[in-house]
Amino acid sequence: MKTAMRNTMKSVNTKRILLPILLSTFVLGACSQNQNEPDVNVSTKDGSKTTANAGSKNGTVGKGGASSVTSNSTKGNRSNYLPNNNANSNVSDGRDLTLAGLKDPNNLLSQRVIYFDYNQSSIRPEYMVLINTHAKLAAKFPQLQMRLEGHADERGSREYNVALSEQRANSVRRIMGTQGARSQQIRTIGYGEELPIVKGHDQKSWQKNRRVEIKYDNY
Amino acid sequence: MIFTTNIIAIRKSIRNISLLFFVLFSSSLSAELQLSISKSANDGIPIYIANIAATIPGGHSGIIEADLKRSGRFTIVDRAKIPNIAPFGGTLNAVAYQDIADYIVRGKDDGNGGLSIELISTSDNAKTNYQITANTNPRRPAHKAADQIFEKITHEKGAFDTRLAYVTVINNASSKRMFKLFVSDADGYNEQEIMSSREPITSPTWSPKGNELAYTSFELNRSGIYIQNIFTGAKRLISGRKGSNNAPAWSPDGSKLAVSLSFTGNPEIYTINVSSGALKQITKSRAIDTEPTWNGTNSIIFTSNRGGKPQLYRVSASGGVAQRLTFSGKYNSAADVANNKMTFITGNSGAFHVAIKSVNGGSGKDMLSNGRMDETPTLAPNGTMVAYTTLRGGQNTLAVVSDNGKAKQFLKSALGDIRYPAWSPYLHR
Repeated sequence: MKTAMRNTMKSVNTKRILLPILLSTFVLGACSQNQNEPDVNVSTKDGSKTTANAGSKNGTVGKGGASSVTSNSTKGNRSNYLPNNNANSNVSDGRDLTLAGLKDPNNLLSQRVIYFDYNQSSIRPEYMVLINTHAKLAAKFPQLQMRLEGHADERGSREYNVALSEQRANSVRRIMGTQGARSQQIRTIGYGEELPIVKGHDQKSWQKNRRVEIKYDNY
Repeated sequence: MIFTTNIIAIRKSIRNISLLFFVLFSSSLSAELQLSISKSANDGIPIYIANIAATIPGGHSGIIEADLKRSGRFTIVDRAKIPNIAPFGGTLNAVAYQDIADYIVRGKDDGNGGLSIELISTSDNAKTNYQITANTNPRRPAHKAADQIFEKITHEKGAFDTRLAYVTVINNASSKRMFKLFVSDADGYNEQEIMSSREPITSPTWSPKGNELAYTSFELNRSGIYIQNIFTGAKRLISGRKGSNNAPAWSPDGSKLAVSLSFTGNPEIYTINVSSGALKQITKSRAIDTEPTWNGTNSIIFTSNRGGKPQLYRVSASGGVAQRLTFSGKYNSAADVANNKMTFITGNSGAFHVAIKSVNGGSGKDMLSNGRMDETPTLAPNGTMVAYTTLRGGQNTLAVVSDNGKAKQFLKSALGDIRYPAWSPYLHR
């Protein structure tokens, strides 16, 4: 468990990790005040469920994942929300890294969306396991090709957001590279704010629109 | 529609330029943007525009009135205030109306689409005559008349006889989403579709001659910068490099595009020679450098987050050290420059507004908008009006505001959200 965490820390510099934690904690504080938002039952014991909600189009975005960070941070044990540190996880070892797993809704690999903080391209720590899992799959199946599609929310200027969203996709690619995915397997693109998933003009919609989607060529 | 997403189709179509010319001009003269709200100056120069009998919608006099109003410099005098005014060419003692208006305009439709205009000063009865020839677009003679009147009175060149390019998104946030690049008259009339795609179209920019647009299109599932002739439809790829090919801005001399490319892994500003394709790197930083705009032929203004947050910088068009231009506010971006004025977006995470300032002057700026999500401001070539998009009733709407903030209009599209307005240069044809 500790080794896994150390590896994670090594792959991204400390600043990148700590800042998002602080930010997401802050953002979360603001979110949790809104009791009207539909809540999602996120089990921090069951990592696959956590990311399942975070990844689906209808699930709470940033909230499920980020709330885990908050609760775990306060317990001083950030690592136990990571799916592959959990006995119930579907991806506890290489056996679940199968192409069929991409289509299995109970497999972490079926989750393909990574969410970001406002005007940031750094990866929130709660998405490290998801990204690493996809990276390991790519490493295991060198013929796999994927596209990382970056997006931004509607705030700020449109062309700047294209660059920002491309940097988000590049952040994901960099981490995948450290886990053995080959650079020729991964293409990135920044769509800016042109293709929102949600049309609303509020915090909730913005959270869902700030994202990188992992798209496999044939899966 | 006509020029869809297929390059091969475009190449084929280039062989049929004459056919395309016919199709483009016969297809879509009916559509237009809808004016929803209009506010104008009540302390502008009072001007009386006599009715000009005409068969076109709104009439020549209505077009001239709307144009002058939109500049924020004129107040249109109610026609009822001078009843039974002598018709064009008839005897008129304008001085008698000094208390009502500073100027009186009379005109006559010559029956073939041409227009005769007289501008009479009420201070001394001085009369200026203009002969405006017919145009295939029946509204343009009135815009040209408004340009003449504007220039005579304000000593600034008029920019009413110009065009807008913009992108309209149909069925946003759904799988039937469609992007359409349009060109219309500057007042939203005569909307004509230039190109259509299921993938995003962004960042149109006009050639200085006003006959071509450069834009970014994702039609091949990656970004590419294209140049398309708006009359013939002929289209060519200018940059389809790895990474982002984004934010083209046409140089005032027409020879280059300033662009943001990320093929090195990081978005930097480059110039591309539009005839040779020669590439020159202008900025080199580890930050995002994008949204270039030309400040004359020798200088480029762009957005960079090299200082931590997006701010505006200026760099020589041949490269070198960039100088930071904006210091107040957490987010300053998306500049456009015309006639020594610079419009840009200023804001923070909660609200983004349009501001205007002297491009080479101090830090003082005037706010022109108060929407939450105002974007992509673009200046008329004489710098007197700014078009941008704003969120109204959940829809991205085109807004046009005068540089003094006194006149403002909102133009909606029945099709969907409007994005990326780009004001044309002065028209030469």
